[in-house]
Amino acid sequence: MAREWQTFVRKFDDMKEGRAKLFIKDLTPGPRRYDTKFVEAEVAKSKGALPDGEPLTIRSESGLQTPEPWYIKIIQELPPFVPGKPWEDVYDAIKRRE
Amino acid sequence: MAFKDHRDFFEVLEKEGELARITREVDWDLEVGAIGRRVYETEGPCLLFEKIKDYPDGFRISNGTTGTWPRLALSMGLPRKAPIREIYKTYEEGLEKKIAPRIIEKENAPCKENILIGNEVDLYKFPSPMIHEGDGGRYIGTWDLVVSKDPETGWMNWGMYRFMVHTKDWLTGWPQSTSQLAFMFNARYLPKNQPMPVALVIGTDPISHIMATAPVRLQEDEVDYVGGLRGEPVELVPCETIDLLVPAHAEIVIEGELMPDKVAPDGPFGEYPGYRSGTMCQGVAVKVKAITYRSNPILTMIALGTPPDDSSIAASLTAAVAMKKGLLHRKVPVTDVYVPPEGVTHLIIIGVKKGGMEVARQVLDYFTARRVMTNKHIVVDEDVDVFNMTEVLHAFATKCHPGRGIAYEWYEGRANSLTPFYSPEERKRLKGVSVAFDCTWPPDWPQEIIPIKASFKTIYSKEIQEKVLQNWTRYGLK
Repeated sequence: MAREWQTFVRKFDDMKEGRAKLFIKDLTPGPRRYDTKFVEAEVAKSKGALPDGEPLTIRSESGLQTPEPWYIKIIQELPPFVPGKPWEDVYDAIKRRE
Repeated sequence: MAFKDHRDFFEVLEKEGELARITREVDWDLEVGAIGRRVYETEGPCLLFEKIKDYPDGFRISNGTTGTWPRLALSMGLPRKAPIREIYKTYEEGLEKKIAPRIIEKENAPCKENILIGNEVDLYKFPSPMIHEGDGGRYIGTWDLVVSKDPETGWMNWGMYRFMVHTKDWLTGWPQSTSQLAFMFNARYLPKNQPMPVALVIGTDPISHIMATAPVRLQEDEVDYVGGLRGEPVELVPCETIDLLVPAHAEIVIEGELMPDKVAPDGPFGEYPGYRSGTMCQGVAVKVKAITYRSNPILTMIALGTPPDDSSIAASLTAAVAMKKGLLHRKVPVTDVYVPPEGVTHLIIIGVKKGGMEVARQVLDYFTARRVMTNKHIVVDEDVDVFNMTEVLHAFATKCHPGRGIAYEWYEGRANSLTPFYSPEERKRLKGVSVAFDCTWPPDWPQEIIPIKASFKTIYSKEIQEKVLQNWTRYGLK
């Protein structure tokens, strides 16, 4: 059965078609709804461009949703985190400014 | 009276008509959040949702335990109609008495009634709510208490930070980079590339949660203050898999390790300033090692948002008293500090014995010296009741000179990135600005030119006031 997914981007323009690594939430109803997966996937704006893709809801950093879903085809599942130090993004932004 | 846990406080709330039990089945996915939010906005009761969709009977969610001044008063053993000034005073006096916690045996700790370790760990066993439509996930940690420990000094830090269910055995969270938890991690664990043990504690006695919001100094244990406020020690019990002590009467304890080399998305989330504003980030990643919980557990939720709610009420108390102490320490002639819940710790009212721009700048210096959580500071003379917003707004409107009475200061690396009016770039760099509004009469004005406030208490002589008050009912007035 086809599943539905959700992902977040800062701005809608950040979402690009093609192959990407992204964190997605499983929207299947039930007690495990919103479980997170980190995947390598093909994403496309239309069903036509990815006929075997599953619907992918896109939300912005404020939680706003695009009017139409995109589509996703998962190629492989990865461990559910990325390498990095906590708060590194904040400290880097401050350091760059200094 | 001291409340030992979440449940005995609920008994008092029920007796006082401050608790509503929702027995109809509700959906953890948005429905409980929407109900909780609407009840906050109508200043309704604390809620206990007793039947949650997809979950067995007995797994419950509460909302708004101390989300109003009457419930906060009850949590401190005061009458429900106690004035805010009295609640502040009781809290301030309670902080003077520290009582160390007592460690009890595992057998006597209700939080050990059920234990899940290693592969048994499954966060989806609990009805973590999807609180707002469009949030980044299900927040199990909103009205929580997060324990961490300094391995060198033994300092046990309690803080309140949001945590989201990422997978069945991973949490992500967003303690701010300026938080004490971040300080401890950066000072003690990151240099050694070691994971930091953390325990996410859900559903304790009400004072413990309130104290987790308090800005207590580094190396001071919040639990000692909770003991002082309750008048008896908090009972703690060792965790199963990490070297931490946690409140023994908690509903749920999640034991985990905050990773030094892994991050994962957290948020966005409708936060305490009352907005969901760019709070999506690379969150800290916590690998869950064990979960212990009481039978029929209550998951404490706050459907955070526009005030009032538990967060804005608790912070109004704990932040204001800490600020008053800090200002006095800096020799600012402060009489009272009030953090109106409506101002969500962005707006602070400071009463002073002697005003003027020099004092306003001293106030601003105090609030911007380190981690900055506030941005607007209204400084008023001592004849203004800081708890009375009608008086405060009147002073602001009539005594703050728009050209000479405003001081502001920019800073970087220590602003509160949850401040809604900051641009995305400012949030990223923690760049901010704070302002002080001097709503006091200039100290160099001679007495005879200072405008006289045209109120009953200030523009009439004592004799006239007494005459009018004595004859009040004789005038046919109530």
